[in-house]
Amino acid sequence: MKASGANQSFDAIVIGAGHNGLTAAATLAKRGKKVLVLERSESIGGMAKTSEIAPGVRGPRMAHLLYNLNPRVASELNLESRGLRAAAEDLATVSLSPDGRHVVIAGTEARFSDGGVHPDAEAFSSLTQRMLRYGALIAPLFTRTPPRLAGGGLSPANLFERAQLGKLGVDLRRMGKSEMREFLRVVLSNVCDLILDRIPDGPLAGAMAADAVLGAWAGPKSPGTVLMLMYRLAQGGARRLPAGGMGAVTDALADAARAHGAEIRTGVGVESVLIDGDRMRGVALPGGGSATAPLLLSSLDPMSTLKLVGPEHFDIEACRRIRSIRAKGTAAKINIALSAAPKFKGLDDALARARIVIAPSVSYIERAFNPAKYGELPTEPMIEAVIPSLSDPSLCHDGIHVLSAIVQYAPYDLKGGWSAPAREKLAQTSLALLERFAPGITDLVTTTEVLSPADIERDTGARGGHWHHAEMAIDQMMMLRPANGMGRYATGIPGLYLCGAGAHPGGDVTGTAGRNAAIQSLRNGASP
Amino acid sequence: MPDNARYDAIVTGAGHNGLTTACYLAKAGLKVLVVEKNDWIGGAAVSRELHDGWIYSNCSYVCSLLRPEIVRDLDLPRHGLQVIPYEGGANFTSDGDYFAYYADHDALRREIARHSKRDVDAYERYSRLVLRQCRFIRPLLLRTPPDPVSLHPRDLQELLYLIRRFHDLGEREMGETIRFWTLSVGEFLEEHFESELIRASFAGSGIIGTGLGVYSPGTAYVLLHHYMGEVDGSIGSWGFARGGMGAISNALASALKEAGGEIRTGSGIDRFLTKEGKVTGVVLDDGDEFEAPLVASNMDVKRTFLNHVNPSELPDEFVAAVKRFKIRGSSGKLNIALDALPEFPAAPPDAPFLKGDLHCSVSLAELERAYDDWKEGRWSADPYFDMLISTRTDPTMAPPGKHMMTMFIQYAPYELELGGKRAPENWDKAREAFADTVLDKVERISPGIRDLIVHKEVRSPWDLEREVGLTEGNIFQGELTFDQLLFNRPVPGYAQYRSPIKGLYLVGSSAHPGGGVMAAPGANAAREILRDVNMLAPHSKWSRAA
Repeated sequence: MKASGANQSFDAIVIGAGHNGLTAAATLAKRGKKVLVLERSESIGGMAKTSEIAPGVRGPRMAHLLYNLNPRVASELNLESRGLRAAAEDLATVSLSPDGRHVVIAGTEARFSDGGVHPDAEAFSSLTQRMLRYGALIAPLFTRTPPRLAGGGLSPANLFERAQLGKLGVDLRRMGKSEMREFLRVVLSNVCDLILDRIPDGPLAGAMAADAVLGAWAGPKSPGTVLMLMYRLAQGGARRLPAGGMGAVTDALADAARAHGAEIRTGVGVESVLIDGDRMRGVALPGGGSATAPLLLSSLDPMSTLKLVGPEHFDIEACRRIRSIRAKGTAAKINIALSAAPKFKGLDDALARARIVIAPSVSYIERAFNPAKYGELPTEPMIEAVIPSLSDPSLCHDGIHVLSAIVQYAPYDLKGGWSAPAREKLAQTSLALLERFAPGITDLVTTTEVLSPADIERDTGARGGHWHHAEMAIDQMMMLRPANGMGRYATGIPGLYLCGAGAHPGGDVTGTAGRNAAIQSLRNGASP
Repeated sequence: MPDNARYDAIVTGAGHNGLTTACYLAKAGLKVLVVEKNDWIGGAAVSRELHDGWIYSNCSYVCSLLRPEIVRDLDLPRHGLQVIPYEGGANFTSDGDYFAYYADHDALRREIARHSKRDVDAYERYSRLVLRQCRFIRPLLLRTPPDPVSLHPRDLQELLYLIRRFHDLGEREMGETIRFWTLSVGEFLEEHFESELIRASFAGSGIIGTGLGVYSPGTAYVLLHHYMGEVDGSIGSWGFARGGMGAISNALASALKEAGGEIRTGSGIDRFLTKEGKVTGVVLDDGDEFEAPLVASNMDVKRTFLNHVNPSELPDEFVAAVKRFKIRGSSGKLNIALDALPEFPAAPPDAPFLKGDLHCSVSLAELERAYDDWKEGRWSADPYFDMLISTRTDPTMAPPGKHMMTMFIQYAPYELELGGKRAPENWDKAREAFADTVLDKVERISPGIRDLIVHKEVRSPWDLEREVGLTEGNIFQGELTFDQLLFNRPVPGYAQYRSPIKGLYLVGSSAHPGGGVMAAPGANAAREILRDVNMLAPHSKWSRAA
């Protein structure tokens, strides 16, 4: 049925089977559309994958924690019933301290790992609660298609979006004068000042700042990082460890898509996009076949989409804008297979299951960021690590464990390139750092897998190996994401839409971009 | 209390903003007294003879932002203000090349083409965008920012005005405007230009005076504070005030005297007198007391409310907000008396751009590293400097044949790290070393300039604080980040020049629209003061705003 030369027609084609691509496909299929998903690599999942690090040792390949998953996506596609379960809910955070008095953060509560009361617990709690309030306030902006700033006429959809914007103003006002003033003051500010104005620098402040800059080409002192923190907290900020690794998320999404009749082909890359006149017609497949559809949704990053379609089909201004989108990955992933569970100084078994952060102070993070600006590696990186096998035995067997670590800042454009020695160096630096807190961990290492931003780019195609496909900076958010004039999933080429993290609202495993793009494409159809 | 100690209004601090406020109040018929702690007036706009025959503009050093509306209102040219425009400038590389900036459009295009053909067109797009942003922002400078949470008709009306202005840009331009306000100057320039030298040449204006780096979001906006300028109606151009920046203060003082105002130098304020939440006057360091129902403070917000007002008179959250306000010392100055004209081998003899601002920063990375040093409490090992030989345009500032050179250096921390300890006092041990770091770099583009130095004044942020009174020596009286602009400046809810104490106003650069020798805060504050006493002159052009 996939005979070469054959042409099949669909209602919609989705490029890429990452969480956003699959969400888009499932959303369209659920609305009765005949959908085809094309995935270049042999397996689905994109950045949300569970893979084998060593024989019998499975772990999250890239993304390793689930938060911010759009609740509407979860319920609409009833992912729970499709096997998406949590091996651990509301994961606590442990911020390691060189002096051994680690800080444990559960929700808005903070204490010392030895049970002691943290002097800044109150300040932390009130600040976190305020950020949660602000996060909830702007959450609607991050779950819906961004409203147009102007124009759009009097179409009901447009009026509805404007009404949403108006509602934000009202909600803002309803918070009360002083709250509203504080929101307007900090919203574009930097997370370093936000925190240090209330909490002295240290592991507690560091952990909070880390949440704002994870995956970003930015340090805590960079203005705009407060908005990033609100984004992370928009869905309450609870972190889940999916049973079976992050792959379970994309498996559930794929299951939903198939259940509604979508066809998912892996190992099939798109040869080219068929443009007839100025209209998108479909895609050419390897071996001469083709698939046609009035709608094409690309979950690739904007630049890769531009290349695939061909710049000649975009207007010159759009090309310039897409080319200047910033997507310099700074987060490397290190997956380590351990012959036994590591012992962290001052952490009992329960706390070892938590999300472990090495960010002992805000200034530590800023220092880790400095070298990245010049294509160099930090001597002391910031690390977010989890040992999922402690909570999810299904991943490994006979006492073996897997440690999954996100290491920042590892610049995509590393001087001298990401050679084997460079990767080795990063692994050494990170292990040496872990060794300080978990003596003997190095001897437990059986396999180490280093994924630099360059590797992530090669694996997933995401430009710059950037988690979010495009930097989550204010000038690339909301109606400006990925670029001015392309803020509402439409690309300007009739029938072609962006549905990946490069589109609004951006990164993290949320499924929002995929869902919104699907709905938007149905609304606009093949009109530009 | 004797009558000669009673005034309608007292202004504390004879900086350009304080004097501007005083002028407008006096012209409106109020009996005004300006008190100044130094024996001279001008604050950070001064000309001082610190070495025989040489006059230094030893704080601010070039003029451009001074609002033309104010110059006209106060008739400053008649009071002796003469601004001489200068043409362009240059950024030298270490290997004998340079990028020159000419006012003449064709010359500039040819110069850009010398470095990158592609950037010639890029520059057209760049300058169009920047000018459009200037046009958008300039009318806001002389307006009082609305309080977004207030339902007062005037606030709503002003808010509506802002929204309408913004909306009138059209969807595409609105997007561009948001980007411009939130982008870093480095990324903004990388987006336009391919030549690293050209990028570095334009980037400087985005970081001057701020505690931010070229890659810090929001610095593209700071760029505007250096492009919004206007000399004789030519937007974006810069000039020298003849006789140094003090000429501006002197012209304002003369306008003030003509309007019947008084200035009293030599004794600063000890404290503001208040009664039942109202200001009643001031007590000076020398013990003298003066009464007035209106007092305008030209000092920055921290100095005004944390040093000279009894905290119990202020709401706690206000005090907290003032403490939180970010005023970061980030720049130093070198003022140098030269025995002869220094040579710049890379430049053609008597190249016109040598009259302008000279730099030696060849890449954005170099500028960003300079910022990283500052974050750690060190001055930049490879600093950015803005260097002008004023006497090439205004010979009156040095003896015949001799020259005066002013250098603005970014970055220099207020709390200098020395032997593991961060403290401003460390500057006493480090001033010369700092100057050497800078001069070593100057020697790269002007070999032998050291031998020409007759006298030099080295100014750390700490020195600026002690002499001028600017907290941490910050030239803008507060960082120009969004959380401290418009209705957030200096404190949300108090962005309209008034304070929790009735009759006490903030008229310095801590208030909207912020720093640069603009005089806009002073003029805006005067307007609000006169509105409060129902003396707002309806005919005056700027009084119609807000």
